[in-house]
Amino acid sequence: MKNFWKSGDPFVWLTGGAFIFSLLMIAGLLFLIMAKGLGFFWPTDIAQVTLEDGSKLLGQVRGREEIPQPGSPIGTPERRRIQLQIGNRDVYGLDFKWVDEDRIKKTDYPQDAVLFERREWGNMYGFIKEILVDGKVVAGGNKESWIALNSYLPKTQEIYKEIKRIEKKEIGDINYKIESLRLEIRKIELQEAITNLSIQAKITNLEDQIENQKKLYRDKEFELESLYKKQNKDKIVVVTVDGREKELSLGVIVRSYQPNTMSWFGKAVLYLSKLWEFVADEPRESNTEGGIFPAIFGTVMMVFIMSIAVLPFGVLAALYLREYAKQGLIVTIVRICVNNLAGVPSIVFGVFGLGFFIYAIGGTIDQLFYPEALPNPTYGTGGILWASLTLALLTVPVVIVATEEGLAAVPRNIREGSLALGATKFETVWKVIIPSAMPAILTGLILAIARATGEVAPLMITGVVKLAPALPIDGHFPFIHLERKFMHLGFHIYDVGFQSPNVEAAKPMVYATTLLLILIVVVLTLAAIIIRNRLRKRYVYSAF
Amino acid sequence: MSALPNPKTKDEQAARASAIQRRRLTDHAARAVVTFGGSGIVLCILAILVFISLEVYPLWKGAKAELVGRYNLVLPQRTPIVTTDRTVGDSNTSESSESQLTTINGSAVGSEFPILALGVEEYKKIGYIVTSTGRIDFISLKDGNTLEQVLIEGLDSRQVTSAKGSLDNRKFTLGTSDGYVLPVQINFKVSFNDNDERVIDPEVVAGELIQVDTFPITHVAFEAPNEGTKAVAAVTSDGRLIFLSELTTRSLLGEEKKEQFKHDLTSQLNGNTVTAMALDGFPDNLYVGTKAGKIFHWDMRDKANPKLNDIIDATKNPGTAITALGFLIGDRSLIVVDEAGDTSTWFLVRDEESPGAKRLEKIHELASHQAPVTAIAASARDKGFLSADSKGNIILQYATSERKLLEIPGQSIPIKALVFAPKANGALAVDEKGTLYDWEIDNPHPETNWKALFGKVWYEGYDKPEYVWQSTGGTDDFEPKFSLTPLAYGTLKGTFYALLFAIPLAILGAICVSQFMHPSLKNTIKPIIEIMAALPSVVLGFLAGLWMAPLVEKIVPAFSMMPLVLTIMTLISVFLWRLVPKSIRGKFKEGTEFLLLIPVFFLGVQICLWLNGPVEALLLGGDYKAWLLNTLGLQFDQRNSLVVGFAMGFAVIPIIFTISEDSLSNVPKHLTSGSLALGATRWQTAIRVVLPTAAAGIFSAVMIGFGRAVGETMIVLMATGNTPVMDWSIFNGFRALSANIAVEIPEAPHGGTLYRILFLAALLLFLMTFILNTVAELVRIRLRKKYGQL
Repeated sequence: MKNFWKSGDPFVWLTGGAFIFSLLMIAGLLFLIMAKGLGFFWPTDIAQVTLEDGSKLLGQVRGREEIPQPGSPIGTPERRRIQLQIGNRDVYGLDFKWVDEDRIKKTDYPQDAVLFERREWGNMYGFIKEILVDGKVVAGGNKESWIALNSYLPKTQEIYKEIKRIEKKEIGDINYKIESLRLEIRKIELQEAITNLSIQAKITNLEDQIENQKKLYRDKEFELESLYKKQNKDKIVVVTVDGREKELSLGVIVRSYQPNTMSWFGKAVLYLSKLWEFVADEPRESNTEGGIFPAIFGTVMMVFIMSIAVLPFGVLAALYLREYAKQGLIVTIVRICVNNLAGVPSIVFGVFGLGFFIYAIGGTIDQLFYPEALPNPTYGTGGILWASLTLALLTVPVVIVATEEGLAAVPRNIREGSLALGATKFETVWKVIIPSAMPAILTGLILAIARATGEVAPLMITGVVKLAPALPIDGHFPFIHLERKFMHLGFHIYDVGFQSPNVEAAKPMVYATTLLLILIVVVLTLAAIIIRNRLRKRYVYSAF
Repeated sequence: MSALPNPKTKDEQAARASAIQRRRLTDHAARAVVTFGGSGIVLCILAILVFISLEVYPLWKGAKAELVGRYNLVLPQRTPIVTTDRTVGDSNTSESSESQLTTINGSAVGSEFPILALGVEEYKKIGYIVTSTGRIDFISLKDGNTLEQVLIEGLDSRQVTSAKGSLDNRKFTLGTSDGYVLPVQINFKVSFNDNDERVIDPEVVAGELIQVDTFPITHVAFEAPNEGTKAVAAVTSDGRLIFLSELTTRSLLGEEKKEQFKHDLTSQLNGNTVTAMALDGFPDNLYVGTKAGKIFHWDMRDKANPKLNDIIDATKNPGTAITALGFLIGDRSLIVVDEAGDTSTWFLVRDEESPGAKRLEKIHELASHQAPVTAIAASARDKGFLSADSKGNIILQYATSERKLLEIPGQSIPIKALVFAPKANGALAVDEKGTLYDWEIDNPHPETNWKALFGKVWYEGYDKPEYVWQSTGGTDDFEPKFSLTPLAYGTLKGTFYALLFAIPLAILGAICVSQFMHPSLKNTIKPIIEIMAALPSVVLGFLAGLWMAPLVEKIVPAFSMMPLVLTIMTLISVFLWRLVPKSIRGKFKEGTEFLLLIPVFFLGVQICLWLNGPVEALLLGGDYKAWLLNTLGLQFDQRNSLVVGFAMGFAVIPIIFTISEDSLSNVPKHLTSGSLALGATRWQTAIRVVLPTAAAGIFSAVMIGFGRAVGETMIVLMATGNTPVMDWSIFNGFRALSANIAVEIPEAPHGGTLYRILFLAALLLFLMTFILNTVAELVRIRLRKKYGQL
């Protein structure tokens, strides 16, 4: 035994244990998010649970856990319960229900149970009773109705798409035009005396244009109304498991399926389509359902603008520090400061962005260029440009440090060779040093992007919103709207997970978003690591 | 390289020369651009600190006052008052009594100019004075001309002997020479004329006359908090204190029932002379200040039966007369000023000795005037007030922070009446000679000083001084509580628990990887750790708050057993491992044998979960939450420091690990080789040779990890309850500086006090992390030098 302790092996293994524990934590975290994020889209079977008192519940099993029994003596048998997503929020009020397993008498999977994904009120679970067109029953019974439903649904989906197009595109255009005309009038009023006759004529002209647009708007509204009528004409009557009847118009159904009859392959196809919807669609139901396309778009665009800002500035600063500045105490101090800036909390940068970019610069821009819109701020409020610049500031130390490292690693003989051949310093830097330091610069940029993608705190105060009305890029001149607020994956996680009214229903959505975010960050980081490793190898060889 | 070919023609020569010229120019230009741009960018980055400091600086600037007008008021013409039977004596006596006893906003002044009260409307265009003639004069503050003189209706040419104005100086209560009390309201109608200029039209609405007595009233207070309740307190010229109240209640059937109570409280005064009086707006409390420096406090909650609660010596030296009493906004804090020039605020505090009772206590001792205080005026916007003395000096102070914001030096003429503009952006004062002063006051951040930001402050409604952060409240009279201490405390608490978890794991892991693992394994390990470092904190926060917190809540006993169980399991596995024949052991690459611990850990965690129930039942009485509360007095919150420590530790581990590992594996090889050659075990080498050499590097790793944990925002925001409590319990949450900024800055108005205080919090975070990182960096630079020399 004495030998056991003396050998030191126990301590060595304890350090190993600490390390393995850390690895397990990372692996566990990734696995957890993977399982929860990807599992959600799989159409599991609909269970019909009959309880001891004879009442029935219909829904998908979402979880199972032990029931805590505080105060019970040892040896009390474990009791478990399952979490059932029963949906039908408009009927029951709650989406989820915990059911104690010892109260369940029977669980079966009825073949004709149908799941409706709806545009509002979440999922609906039930059985089809009949289909009504113009108030007349066109199909009754389960099988017949199911076939009829599948033939009617594509038509209403088309109408829905048309409605969305009109609402978003055409009415959006009209509103945009009206707003810009209004601002134009306001601008003229601010600049010139209204007494001038020609000015007055101009204003009247503009006002007429507004009237025209308003007329157009009313026409569109009329058109929409008729479309809505058409969409809601066809109805389906669904019977819930406890026998209540609910009439749904086909227009609110996103998709419907009978998971209990589906083959594995059919489920896989559905799974992919749901996955695609998640990535490419807009969110519904205060972000707890649908897709996250605007958040992906916002994140990518923000990172893009940030890269445009951070790359030249970071490289310029690194070039100055490494190639042009006289190496001495001051440069060493500056270098340490820049290094340390990477460790300053991101929220501090957010506060700076709010005070400097938004209030100081944005406020000035508004006063100089957009006085007609005041007191509504244009640039004097959070927006994608300010958020990107704030993140650029946050990540510029990363780029500087990485670039400097790369510049320092360029072998001296290459540099001297270039100078000896008569190249000027600039030519050496531009044609020799920067190309060979390119991988390092790229590494820095990728690391900066990875950091920016995951950062949320500074964005919360510089322009991220839970639901942006429009993307920062659209068809209206000047096409790129840098002053607009935007959505962001990281903020989406925070918002949906912590601020949404129905956290339980939102959780799967958050896991899926998290998975996507982690995927982006991990891929970027791995890319940076791989590039860096290659780079190291190259220098190892070129040094000899 | 061969020699350059000779130029053939002159043209070519010229072309080459100009090309060289151009290249040189480009080179110079590039140098200029890089130098200028590069240093500019570096400066810009460093300017962040400067900018944030600039935003914070105004918090420390005091208030500024500018005298914008100074006018000599024309003495109102004295129409000789026809005395009636009811008045005491003739006009002469009434005048003489007035000269002894008139009050202005509660302050007694020996009078020359017959002003009783003063007011100003909210745009500071018109000031108005109430004089003893029963007339209100409206004076333009542009030029000092009298705009209008309004005789108060219903006064019927009675002489006014006392007056008291409300905080917004729109309501006045007048006491007459024949014992009547009259509430008066002044309204301003604002309209715009053709030139878009604001036209303000004053209007005086008199209320109902209330007879209190037949003697002249020297001090008066009137409150009507709602339709049915009225209360009047008055002091007569012969020193009697009378309280009158009227309650109108409406029964269900709509019948009105009027109750009237009249109390003569003179006997309870014990012969003290009243010099000041204040009645709060509820009206629940009546405070009376006397010539002997005592405050009498009556509890008026039961209107039928006022109860003398307390008699307190309120001045520093007993016997100093109290010259005025008044309330800060909210009518809870009583301002007490005296003849010696001392100013203080008081409010009711729960009495520890007799439960349920409240006692008046001195809360804030403020700056002294060194001369008798003649008038006070509270701000209608914040907990600040103005006080003026007999030398004409005026002081602006803020009660909560006990901060003296401004002192306006006087002309050595006593100020008789003083008033704060309704928007707290100006003040009017009238001195004994009848000069009206009009000040513009700029007082953007009265609430802050070091004491209010970091010290214990006694806030209204609290039983003792405390550290509190509560930046906004529901009502206008809310007292903002800006103590950064609980937030800094929260930050440190979170950091402490995070490091408690992260330091052992990270450093032990670093020792393992650098000393006991085959170097070829490092290439696979490093990327994993780097990915761990890159995980967005919002992800960790989300998992901690929504997944882990509910999970941990169920298995707290198992969770706390885990470190012990896992350690024991590891030791057992070492023991077993040593029994394995060497031939098998040799097949493992150095370091890969630790992978055998993975199943052991799974087993260990499972054992902990199995033990959870029995341990809870046997040791913790079956319910650990109840046990915690009863035995240790700890409240269990679901989102607590345990969860935050775990999640934030997770974020900090890779940072500490990477830097420690760097410094550990860079320890010169000859040291370890020498140690091993001398027969030390690998553990002895690691702990006695490598660790001491690399200690500085590990220290700097911990510092940088500390810096990261201090600034972490999203994890703290999502995984704690964000309540600014101050205790070290691991089972409840906290509110950190960073999360506080994220929560509150979107709501903070630009340029306001809260906005700047949040900038101050950001500045604190910046400095803290910057200093930590700089120290760590310097330590590392020194360490590298040391390694070079070894």
